[in-house]
Amino acid sequence: MDQPAIELRGLRKVFRMIHQRHGTLKRAALNLLRRQKKEWVVAIDHLDLEVAHGETLAVIGRNGSGKSTLLGILSRVYRPTAGIVKVNGKIAPLLELGAGFHPDLNGIENIYLDASILGLSRRQTSERLDSILEFAFVEPGRDLRSFADIPVRNYSDGMKMRLGFSVAIHTDPDILLVDEVLAVGDELFQHRCLKKISEFQQAGKTIIFVSHQLWVIEKVATRIIWLQDGRMVADGEPASILARYREAEVSGPSPPA
Amino acid sequence: MIEELKEVWRFRELLIQLVARDLKVRYKNSVLGFFWSLANPLVQVAVITIVFKTMTGMVKVPNYSAYVLCAFIPWNYFQTAVLDSSQSILLMFPVIKKVYLPRELIPLSNAISNFIHFLLAWIVFFLYLYGYLRAPVLITVLLLPVLVIIQFIFTLGVSLYVSCLNVFYEDVKYLVTVLLNLFFFLLPLIYFTENVYFAHSIPPKWHMLVYRLYMLNPVACLITAFRKSFLQPLPAHMFPHNLPLDYISIEISGVFSVLVLVTGYAYFNARKWQFVEKP
Repeated sequence: MDQPAIELRGLRKVFRMIHQRHGTLKRAALNLLRRQKKEWVVAIDHLDLEVAHGETLAVIGRNGSGKSTLLGILSRVYRPTAGIVKVNGKIAPLLELGAGFHPDLNGIENIYLDASILGLSRRQTSERLDSILEFAFVEPGRDLRSFADIPVRNYSDGMKMRLGFSVAIHTDPDILLVDEVLAVGDELFQHRCLKKISEFQQAGKTIIFVSHQLWVIEKVATRIIWLQDGRMVADGEPASILARYREAEVSGPSPPA
Repeated sequence: MIEELKEVWRFRELLIQLVARDLKVRYKNSVLGFFWSLANPLVQVAVITIVFKTMTGMVKVPNYSAYVLCAFIPWNYFQTAVLDSSQSILLMFPVIKKVYLPRELIPLSNAISNFIHFLLAWIVFFLYLYGYLRAPVLITVLLLPVLVIIQFIFTLGVSLYVSCLNVFYEDVKYLVTVLLNLFFFLLPLIYFTENVYFAHSIPPKWHMLVYRLYMLNPVACLITAFRKSFLQPLPAHMFPHNLPLDYISIEISGVFSVLVLVTGYAYFNARKWQFVEKP
């Protein structure tokens, strides 16, 4: 494992923006006639980054600074406009938990579906089924495993999220991408998620996460990068960057020194 | 394109799960799920048979209902698969915005799950034909696998175009609905292909040309072929002569369908990365 887990060189991502709601064929035909102003939004501008195996990297920055775009590129949802992306290892995105769930299918069927979207084979899922169910539904003093047999549309949002989280962590990834998922869920579940994350850290996995909850970052991150308008403005050891970030955010929109 | 196909193969387990999901959802909500989804074509066949045969007596063909059903099964497959595909990517949007998967799995799984339903519908047809109507079994029934595969290829090709276009242009699904309604009359569903060939309003020297043009449409060609290979020739009083089972048209349809599929896939690949970035 000499290679870094993630290597980005000159990464750039530009989105096209048009000021209209929906595209229709009619509008497309009309647009052929009149010139349309195209606007480009630079989400990530020339980013170089190397993340070593076993690091827990937190990405901070204001809304629209390019954090989620970065995770989107790492999980191959977006194609970079320019630059090189190298990922060594299996990535599991914990971005939108349970996005692949179908409301009419029951918990077990959805576990198989979601796991296959995240790259597990049927056999692998069967082997891990008990463990997935246990993490999602069993708490001290509560056993909700009977929920696994009812359609997911009858689940609460929190319940859906727990099942999604449970499937995602059981895909046995080398690199875990986490986007604000800890913000939802009850106290107890948040606590268990954090515990799971530190288990991942101990197992030497790489974690990249985006959060606005600075206390979570303080607790788990070993390194922070700070993005502003798609550029990296700081990279390094958590305590000092967090201090500067807090100061900048409170004192107003002036960039860090 | 070879690379893209390898990627699909790597994700075959997911493809199977997606097809299984479609079928489960479709057949889950009732024990009679399969028959419910057959209800629409069956009711249409019954109504058409009653109107054109029993009530008005316009058609004098023994077992007219079998000819209509034999045409409605492929028509229903094409129509449902294309309509479903127009919505397929938008329905999976929350997933593809967050997780990577080869996008073509979505229209592909849609075409496959509808195809499985299509095959099951043929079983119902043969039960009706041989069990209830006691029709003789023709040797050409062996053409079934070839014909359904050509239809799958064509349907998948059209689905790739439609599913992709509908992501960018939201009125495509309305356009598709209108076109499918027009398509209904361009297909030998309630009439026979002989009605086109021997049309009174067309001078006889044009008959062959009109017929060839008509059969360029793979769905019209396949429906004609399904009828010719499963059902008895029409009675002699109806037309000057029966058209033969037209192997040349089937071959042309096969080639044309492959062309639609290959160009559809190329178009899909060229645009699939823009799905999540559409303005």
